[in-house]
Amino acid sequence: MAALGIVGMEDVGFILATYIATFVGSIALAVYYLRRGRRLAAQLPPDDKPWA
Amino acid sequence: MTDMQLTAGQPANANATAESFSKPTAKTSATGTPFTRILGIATVVSMALLVLFGLFLSPEDVVQGESVRILYIHVGTVWVAYVAFGVTALSSLAFLWKRTTSLTWDRIAGASAEVGVLFMALTLFAGAIWGRLAWGKFWVWDARVTTTAFLFITYIGYLAVRGLGGSHQQRGRRSAVVALLAVLEIPLVHFSVKLWRGLHQDSSVADTTKVKLHDLMLFSLFISLIAFTLLFVWLVMHRQRVLAMQDALEDKGLDYALEQRRSEGGL
Repeated sequence: MAALGIVGMEDVGFILATYIATFVGSIALAVYYLRRGRRLAAQLPPDDKPWA
Repeated sequence: MTDMQLTAGQPANANATAESFSKPTAKTSATGTPFTRILGIATVVSMALLVLFGLFLSPEDVVQGESVRILYIHVGTVWVAYVAFGVTALSSLAFLWKRTTSLTWDRIAGASAEVGVLFMALTLFAGAIWGRLAWGKFWVWDARVTTTAFLFITYIGYLAVRGLGGSHQQRGRRSAVVALLAVLEIPLVHFSVKLWRGLHQDSSVADTTKVKLHDLMLFSLFISLIAFTLLFVWLVMHRQRVLAMQDALEDKGLDYALEQRRSEGGL
């Protein structure tokens, strides 16, 4: 019911664009960090990863 | 150097030294710990709450209408950008402090600035969209908008300075000085609405004598601040560890590569 409310919202395109850009940007950065971390971790011994 | 794939083609009977370089499994992810996993779950939950309250449960504003929903993103992201640049400055100060000079502080500074730049970009984007709805234009040369853009460009410059080369200590010292100068812009940005008359609105939440916000609006803003702060901490923790591994590989990567080749060859 609540989901239907947004369809009739004024300027819904602008509002959704803001939310989508924010979440896509944040997720993209998080995925990049995780992938980069995994790639680097494969090249290092545990001594260089004290948090692990 | 940092992109070498040393594990490629590793034989099954490689000795213990070679095994120590093995790829992280799901249980031992490269930069994750039990704390960051809990933090990640909390971030996802709070983001979901932000969408629920920001888009559906919060009422529309009497003056701004539905466009007020953009402010739950705009305010949250600018808050985190300020915090991020503040953390960068404090970490830089800790790095320059004679008794510490730990590269961990330098990496926290770099990680925080990088995340801050992302959030500042999102702030400008959300602000431009909101401006289009409220003022009829995506961009105006308003004091707050212009100084915010200038702050954004300054920190892109800071990240560029970090990548100039030299030893890690040189990088740390050089970028710490830039960070301590750059942070001085934040008060200018924040007080620009008071210093110069412009279109951007003044403080709405802190000054309750001017505007009384609806409880659900206030709660949505609160959720926004919590969600983006959690996301910031999660991103900085992971990025700081990535930077630590990057530094370690730059320092000792050749030794590790030789060691692994020797162990693969049974020497």
